[in-house]
Amino acid sequence: MVQYNFKKITVVPTGKDFIDIILSRTQRRTPTQVHKGYAISRLRQFYMRKVKFTQQNFHDKLSTIIEEFPRLDDIHPFYGDLLHVLYNKDHYKLALGQINTARNLIGKIAKDYVKLLKYGDSLYRCKSLKVAALGRMCTVIKRVSPSLAYLEQIRQHMARLPSIDPNTRTILICGYPNVGKSSFINKITRADVDVQPYAFTTKSLFVGHTDYKYLRYQVIDTPGILDRPFEDRNIIEMCSITALAHLRAAVLFFLDISGSCGYSIAQQAALFHSIKSLFMNKPLIIVCNKTDLQPLEGISEDDRKLVMEMKAEAMKTVIGQGGEPTDDNSVLLTMSTLTEEGVISVKNAACERLLDQRVELKMKSKKLNDCLNRFHVAMPKPRDQKERPPCIPQAVLEAKAKKAEETAEKEKRKLERDLENENGGAGVYSASLKKHYILADDEWKEDVMPEILDGHNVYDFIDPDILMRLEELEREESALQGLEADDDFEMDGAELTPEEKAALAEIRKKKSLLIQQHRIKKSTAESRPTVPRKFDKDKQFTAERMGRQLSSLGLDPTMAINRARSKSRGRKRERSPDRGVNDGLHSMEVDGDQQNKKLRLRSRSASRSRSKSRPPGEVVPGEGFKDTAQKKKAIKMAKGSSKKRNKDARRGEADRVIPTLKPKHLFSGKRSTGKTDRR
Amino acid sequence: MATRLQYENNCEIGVFSKLTNAYCLVAIGGSENFYSTFEAELADVIPVVKASIAGTRIIGRLCAGNKNGLLLPHNTTDQELQHLRNSLPDSVVVQRIEERLSALGNCIACNDHVALTHPDLDRETEEMIADVLGVEVFRQTIAGNILVGSFCTFSNRGGLVHPHTSIEDLDELSTLLQVPLVAGTVNRGSEVIGAGLTVNDWTAFCGSDTTATELSVIESVFKLREAQPSALVDEMRKSLIDSYV
Repeated sequence: MVQYNFKKITVVPTGKDFIDIILSRTQRRTPTQVHKGYAISRLRQFYMRKVKFTQQNFHDKLSTIIEEFPRLDDIHPFYGDLLHVLYNKDHYKLALGQINTARNLIGKIAKDYVKLLKYGDSLYRCKSLKVAALGRMCTVIKRVSPSLAYLEQIRQHMARLPSIDPNTRTILICGYPNVGKSSFINKITRADVDVQPYAFTTKSLFVGHTDYKYLRYQVIDTPGILDRPFEDRNIIEMCSITALAHLRAAVLFFLDISGSCGYSIAQQAALFHSIKSLFMNKPLIIVCNKTDLQPLEGISEDDRKLVMEMKAEAMKTVIGQGGEPTDDNSVLLTMSTLTEEGVISVKNAACERLLDQRVELKMKSKKLNDCLNRFHVAMPKPRDQKERPPCIPQAVLEAKAKKAEETAEKEKRKLERDLENENGGAGVYSASLKKHYILADDEWKEDVMPEILDGHNVYDFIDPDILMRLEELEREESALQGLEADDDFEMDGAELTPEEKAALAEIRKKKSLLIQQHRIKKSTAESRPTVPRKFDKDKQFTAERMGRQLSSLGLDPTMAINRARSKSRGRKRERSPDRGVNDGLHSMEVDGDQQNKKLRLRSRSASRSRSKSRPPGEVVPGEGFKDTAQKKKAIKMAKGSSKKRNKDARRGEADRVIPTLKPKHLFSGKRSTGKTDRR
Repeated sequence: MATRLQYENNCEIGVFSKLTNAYCLVAIGGSENFYSTFEAELADVIPVVKASIAGTRIIGRLCAGNKNGLLLPHNTTDQELQHLRNSLPDSVVVQRIEERLSALGNCIACNDHVALTHPDLDRETEEMIADVLGVEVFRQTIAGNILVGSFCTFSNRGGLVHPHTSIEDLDELSTLLQVPLVAGTVNRGSEVIGAGLTVNDWTAFCGSDTTATELSVIESVFKLREAQPSALVDEMRKSLIDSYV
């Protein structure tokens, strides 16, 4: 929906201010330094930029004015006419038109001068062209300065217009001046309209809001209208006429039956008849005001007839809406704004009739079908015999009953909010969350409970009925204990036969022996690796041994041994006999019968005694150790670090490694002559 | 009667509170205003508890409960669970459940007798709902929305559902729930009823944007303040037509 808010139009500066704003902006926002020595293209560009920038700013500013002011043809006809009445449509359009022309002119000027600047051949000429361009633009603005001033005035006035929504539920109050229209709006809404005992106190439209049956109604107070030809009416009256003509509202025609406003009932009736065309298709109510001065029953016969005539007219509006012609009490109402008698009934009647009319219109619209489900209350059909009662605590019912009895006195509970305010306000006060705990003992409330205890999450072990379970467990355990006390005697081999006993002893002995053996082996193994049986060096697990063991068990081992032999691979070549042994034993006697030439040579050249080795702790310059102690320590540490690895027979960093057994580059490709070795 | 309020300038108060017939959970906020509004209304009758769930303030969307029990999502911390157990009376069973859809408040709508649930909830969860809350469980959608907890609110006396629920759906749901139902809005046209409104059998709280019309619909359908749901079709009909169409 279109919102009619004219408060957001930006301020329109006067012509002089306008020029100042734009020129100072050009000065601030474009480069200012230029030298004669610059290339001419740069000079031209410098001034062209200034001209274009100024034009752009003018264009933007003028465009906002043109766009922000409402176009009278596009807005709601009520506002269109109201603005026409207040500011004269022609004048308004002319002003905006002039602004538009100025915008175009400035654009054209800029275009021309940019073109000329392209032919500027010196700094001076370019500068003169720029000055001329800006000067002409400013002249254009100076010429429209009256329009700008006019638009600014209109803007200020429009910002103060009441924000009337032409489409909402509206109650319109009209009548002669001084009949009590403003007093009525002050009574039923919170609007504070000036009320004075002279005509035309209200000079423009005023808006207030009132509620009826959960809905908000907009009440519009209009200036008084005089009974005179349309052309003679002044702007103030025309506001009322515009509102009457364009707003689809419930109209309250106020009638001062006491005549204290200075106009007789006959005059007021004449006005009614002259503007009754404006009441077409609107719920109309004739309100006889000031009954405190003159009750309706007390008026003269002629006046009564006039009033009845008006009532008949108003009845037509009821019938026009398809209402019952008999319910006349909502067409002619009496009230007194002074004594407030009948004020509310007038308001209610107006709201009710307006609502009726609007609902009737809406019932015919297509949109209703989309909302039909929202006027439907689905009542449950019983589906079983189960009772599903509401659950309202007794305290609530009691409190309700109490409230109904005595509306006022009730001791107020001290709320958290009050505590907060007493203790430094929000952000300072921090309420304890444990305050309202429901526990078996109130002293437990503030107890601190650990979250983690001995590395365990405490809450994993919390069980609401932990005490009960503990008790149960204990009971179970004591019962079990009682049973076990009887059972205890029976262990310890009371019922084993002597043979079984002997066997048991044997088993235990063997077991302990095995354990001992293992322990000895483990302790004496020292740094030797403990290797899997597969790699057993001591040949403990030989076929012979297997045979021995099997035969000791009384089984024939041949089959098993044969089987194991057949599966094993053939013996590898044994290691050649140790040379060192030979050397030591036979070095003297062996002389001529050496079969190996190499051996012979070596044995002769080798010296007999071994030179002394360096002690392991001695520091050699260049090794980086401070002293012997440090070196020893380092060696010890190195040994320690590899001990575990060696013992596990794992591969260490000092072991030989062949990263790739068959490197691709050595084994692939065509081999032409002589390439085999080089690859 | 219904009260209008805000949580830290936010009108979705159903997100920050959980109201049932046996207790009321309220999110911990910057000031005590929100809590005190509930406190003033309820503290004489039922416990009003400040709580957080999974370290967040959106407790109304994360938990589901009625006077018999309270279901918490799996990401509730042990401390929060203990706090709630300590604060609520023993008659209320507090239970944390392992359910993939952890926003239980959005997936479950319930009163003390019946619950509507998200169609994709686990079977175990469904059993748990039936056991802990003591309700019949129906897998349902509301106006095509699977988040039943967000788009409807009902007490043992009446219910408000998503404004686009068709008349047939309304009748069906009403028969399931055995309470009168109305399609409506809260918070000036918001269709997330569960977020804007929290209600029990004798009182209701709604966001401060709620209009007078919406409020009167709420009061009549939940039978607060002697109003009856039938009022909606009688005296309020015209106002409703004028404001909706």
